[in-house]
Amino acid sequence: MAPTLPSSDQASDQDNWDNGRLARKRQLLIEIVLRNKLTALVVDGDTTCRVLEQLLLRSYGVQTQCVDNDRDAVALIASGVKFDLIIIDMILPVLNGLEATRQIRDMGVHCKMLGVTICSGESERQVFLAAGVDVFIEKPLDPEHLVPILRELDGQ
Amino acid sequence: MERNPMRRQLASMRKSLFDQGYLDEQFMELEQLLDDANPNFVEEVVTLYYRDSARLILNLDRALERRPLDFSKLDGLMHQFKGSSSSIGAKKVKAESTLFREYCKSGNAEGCMRTFQQLKKEYATLRKKLETYFQLARQIGPMESANRPK
Repeated sequence: MAPTLPSSDQASDQDNWDNGRLARKRQLLIEIVLRNKLTALVVDGDTTCRVLEQLLLRSYGVQTQCVDNDRDAVALIASGVKFDLIIIDMILPVLNGLEATRQIRDMGVHCKMLGVTICSGESERQVFLAAGVDVFIEKPLDPEHLVPILRELDGQ
Repeated sequence: MERNPMRRQLASMRKSLFDQGYLDEQFMELEQLLDDANPNFVEEVVTLYYRDSARLILNLDRALERRPLDFSKLDGLMHQFKGSSSSIGAKKVKAESTLFREYCKSGNAEGCMRTFQQLKKEYATLRKKLETYFQLARQIGPMESANRPK
């Protein structure tokens, strides 16, 4: 369906976003096809964020589990369950995302870890990276950041 | 040009939500992500947000009644609330959350309280606007199915 423009005005910024960038983002949503079965763990105390991150990952065919706190995340990984990707928030209900990340890395887990959180500044980014995440992404998690990572994990 | 007046009204309502700064592009991403699965899913996600964040609002209210204020706790609660709000594209709510966190970091109690009142107003206003928007979208939905050629 061709996009419709206001009858008398020039296209607004929003319309241009709709026509151009939206098409590009839509492309990101559909163009990736994973060859391998990837698995992911989402660690986020917020239900809305957790549901949406899981939905986004599943839309790409990533088998996804969720936990709502860091203690359960660490316990799950300590039990031997392996993931290709862990997405973890910084502020979590029991310990915190930084401590959970350190504990996961201390267990010898080398999988890709994304710190997906609300950012207050460069120092927060550096602290999360120092704790052991590979990539720092400011919430919300979006296809533009996620797709290249999934491609990398898939060996594309 | 939309022939159906209700669809025109819906489109206009939607445009207004973005033009007036209530929503940002994250809401559009949600629509793209979720529309294939279930056309009402965006409404379900927004309903989930309001249900879940109500608890955070209550906890923030309680924390703001304590003296002295625990700015670290307040910041932690607002961190979560901001993350949740940004995930549905609630632009004005997110902006007030950012301001609140800045007041937490500078230990400005009055700033926190004032900003929180404004945040609650924006939160409530967005809710009303989205309820109206989704109500109209639901009315249009069944009409589209009825008119779809067989």
